[in-house]
Amino acid sequence: MDIMSTFVGLSSVLTGFAQDILAPRLDTTNIKNLYLQSWTENIAQETGDANLVNTILQQYAELQAAGKSDEEIGEQLMNGNNSSAFVLACQKLIFLWYMGAWPDVNAQPGTETGGVTTSSLLSAESYTSGLVWQVMQAHPMGDSNYRYGYWAEQPPALSDYTGN
Amino acid sequence: MTNTSKYDVVIVGSGISGAIVAYQLGLAGKKVLILESGPTVPADRSGYMETFYKANAKTPESPYPPATQGAVPSSANNPLGLPNPAGENIPRYTVLQVGAWQKKDQCYFDYPSQVEGIDGTSLNANFAFASSYERLGGGTTWHWLGTCLRLFPEDFKMKTLYGQGEDWPGGDAFYQSLVPFYETAAKEIGVSGDKAAMEKLYRQFYVNPEGIYGSDYNFPMPGIDQTLQDELYAGITDMTYEGNPVYVTPTPQGRNSRPDERRQCAGNTNCIPICPIQAKYDATVTLARAEQTDNVEIRYQHVACNIRLDDKQQVCGIDYLTYDQPNGIATGSGTAVAERYVLAAHAIETPKLLLMSNKNPGFENGVANSSDQVGRNLMDHVMYLGWGLAKDPIFPYRGPLSTSGIESLRDGAFRKDRSAYRIEIGNEGWQWAADDPGTTLADFVFGQNNSQLNGNSKNQQGEELRFNPQLPAFSKLFGKQLVNTLNGVYTRQLRLGYLIEQLPDPENRVQLSTTLKDNLGLPRPHVTYRLASDYERKAFVSAKELTTELFAKVGATEYTKDPGAPVFSGKPEELTATNFQYKDDKGVTHNFRFYGAGHIVGTYRMGDNKATSVLNSRQQSWDHDNLYMVGSGVFPTIATGNPTLTIAALAFQAAGHILEDLNS
Ligand SMILES: Cc1cc2nc3c(=O)[nH]c(=O)nc-3n(C[C@H](O)[C@H](O)[C@H](O)COP(=O)(O)OP(=O)(O)OC[C@H]3O[C@@H](n4cnc5c(N)ncnc54)[C@H](O)[C@@H]3O)c2cc1C
Ligand code: SF4
Repeated sequence: MDIMSTFVGLSSVLTGFAQDILAPRLDTTNIKNLYLQSWTENIAQETGDANLVNTILQQYAELQAAGKSDEEIGEQLMNGNNSSAFVLACQKLIFLWYMGAWPDVNAQPGTETGGVTTSSLLSAESYTSGLVWQVMQAHPMGDSNYRYGYWAEQPPALSDYTGN
Repeated sequence: MTNTSKYDVVIVGSGISGAIVAYQLGLAGKKVLILESGPTVPADRSGYMETFYKANAKTPESPYPPATQGAVPSSANNPLGLPNPAGENIPRYTVLQVGAWQKKDQCYFDYPSQVEGIDGTSLNANFAFASSYERLGGGTTWHWLGTCLRLFPEDFKMKTLYGQGEDWPGGDAFYQSLVPFYETAAKEIGVSGDKAAMEKLYRQFYVNPEGIYGSDYNFPMPGIDQTLQDELYAGITDMTYEGNPVYVTPTPQGRNSRPDERRQCAGNTNCIPICPIQAKYDATVTLARAEQTDNVEIRYQHVACNIRLDDKQQVCGIDYLTYDQPNGIATGSGTAVAERYVLAAHAIETPKLLLMSNKNPGFENGVANSSDQVGRNLMDHVMYLGWGLAKDPIFPYRGPLSTSGIESLRDGAFRKDRSAYRIEIGNEGWQWAADDPGTTLADFVFGQNNSQLNGNSKNQQGEELRFNPQLPAFSKLFGKQLVNTLNGVYTRQLRLGYLIEQLPDPENRVQLSTTLKDNLGLPRPHVTYRLASDYERKAFVSAKELTTELFAKVGATEYTKDPGAPVFSGKPEELTATNFQYKDDKGVTHNFRFYGAGHIVGTYRMGDNKATSVLNSRQQSWDHDNLYMVGSGVFPTIATGNPTLTIAALAFQAAGHILEDLNS
């Protein structure tokens, strides 16, 4: 499997969105490229471990090859024996897909809020590609293909947005 | 110096008020020159859209030049990279500056330092002003919401009826004179509205026993479709609050419910800060109509900086500076000359211009300022936000940002004692209230609890707020569980916004900064802003109480967060911008944060007494016959509706007065 399909597979497990939503066959924005690159660079820089992203991708590929279900793979990656840096890198990838922005997590365990997270958008396309808008069964604020009055009706089912 | 004496009228500012006056005068064949400080109206809005998409903080000003953020590298002291107003030719106040109000290299306004030794409830505390405006062709309606409500006659008689605030000059008679102009204004904006709903409201307030509209009147367009959230509240039929009925009214609004000259609203849910398809009215529409009369000329990047008086105390010219680059040097200067002059630079820049014009003999305190009222009585609708989660999905983030409100509490005997308010039903989930969708997302991905959905938070009624009690606190979710949790939260988010009427207070004022300047060397506004009476504070207590009742009524769980006690001493960067406390008559101390409504009002008010007002009821300067001013600065009180329909109606009325003068 090439690295991009591994990345999309991993992203699908972590985000809960189907692969063909994350990487549609006709992918004009091709946001996955930007995300893979940004994730790789940022994680290497933040952790000082240039190999961490590969380790994650490899573990995903192995679990996948072993015929595990998405749920099992997710459990293994996030709640298995992986290091906290490994898990945090996966969480940051989730955040990136949902917001199109790179997070800066200031964790303060034991406090009422557990810390704060700020973030920085990658690009105009990453804003409109954010999965948050899909998970709320809506559209990016400022970018909609709907028609007048759609808001008076129930939206299509959640599965239409997540592909699952 | 340019010879501009061929003009009948010079107007400063091309927002809705300036554009309407220009259009009306142009139609009547008068030659008009508009001086506009900001850049020209772009041929299409894709550049502004792109800037908006890229902005990390999607504030009302984020699409527009000059850049609101990312102008300098971010640092601990300036995380979003706010530009230094000292280096800009047309700086303006932005909502990102509210939190930076004590930082002179980030905030355009100069503020007094905090009063020493006060407690959280002190009426003397200084605050940051919480509302913003634009300086570009077309002005602030680029990012208005489009709510188009009329004021009530009672709003014009506050002093007479309730012993509070001021009456508008002429009271009832003035209101009646404005009614036809309200109709003209609604037509110009192309308001979509539901006549029957408005008549129900007007009947409640005895505006007219038959409702205010004649039988042949209707809104230019049918009402905008209501959202699913509106339906939830529309179910409230039998509720009263302090003896007044509580019911929902669909909001008349300046967006197209039908295709016309502009497109039909497609529900991009982005009216603030920018409608991508211009389904929402903005003043560039009227500006284009003005230019089409062939009698109106607009000069962009012309910053009015001084008003000249002749020896008969008439205005004889307005000086301006020009620039090419927003941060470059001044490239020229000149004086615009005409018979009549109109200031339409909105309620911060207009008084600033009047105060800067202090070189005329006899008017050392500024042009039109013999009353010393210029810049005083600065008001806003101070806003209380309440938010919650509905029992079942109501699907916010779809459709216009607000399509209905509760208008039925805008007047009543309580107004002797506390401010009235209208309630805007927000359709943007917790975007404004809690900076969502990012906050909730980060909470469930990284195991935090800033949304109060993922920890051990309780609301002010003691209810547990964890969204899914089956999950442990500080859960870190992924995959399907994340999808289902986020979907469950986002599709249920409710937000109410109370537009609380602020009384005129002469100490709330715009002055000239004695130390801070912009890049053209013009002084920046010095703003003093307080909530100096219990009148408004009591309305916050009422808003808090009513929010809880409303959410209970519709079966929602309240998430309104206690904003914490204000910080009135210590390091300047830690000082509270808009937090205060109020101790109610039961002895309970409440913490509040107020927000701005974008309604900047009162700084050059009309009145029927030359000693206590800047303008007469014709919106003409008491001091200089050939000088008029338009915009919400003319309002003696802020009243209970969003201001712009009234601004527009008053601008049509003023245009008539100016024509009368020119033709006499
Ligand atoms: C977020 C937000 C939402 C809002 N929503 C609503 C709403 O739903 N309903 C409602 O009724 N109102 C709303 N408002 C208020 C509304 O936007 C304003 O009342 C209205 O735009 C004011 O119009 P104006 O013409 O008086 O001023 P502006 O539109 O501000 O125009 C003033 C013009 O003067 C120019 N100018 C300034 N200084 C100079 C100078 N020195 N020389 C030359 N030109 C100068 C500026 O560039 C600008 O073009 C909202 C405001 C905000 C901030
Ligand atoms: S909802 Fe969208 S299309 Fe409609 S007016 Fe607002 S921004 Fe424009």
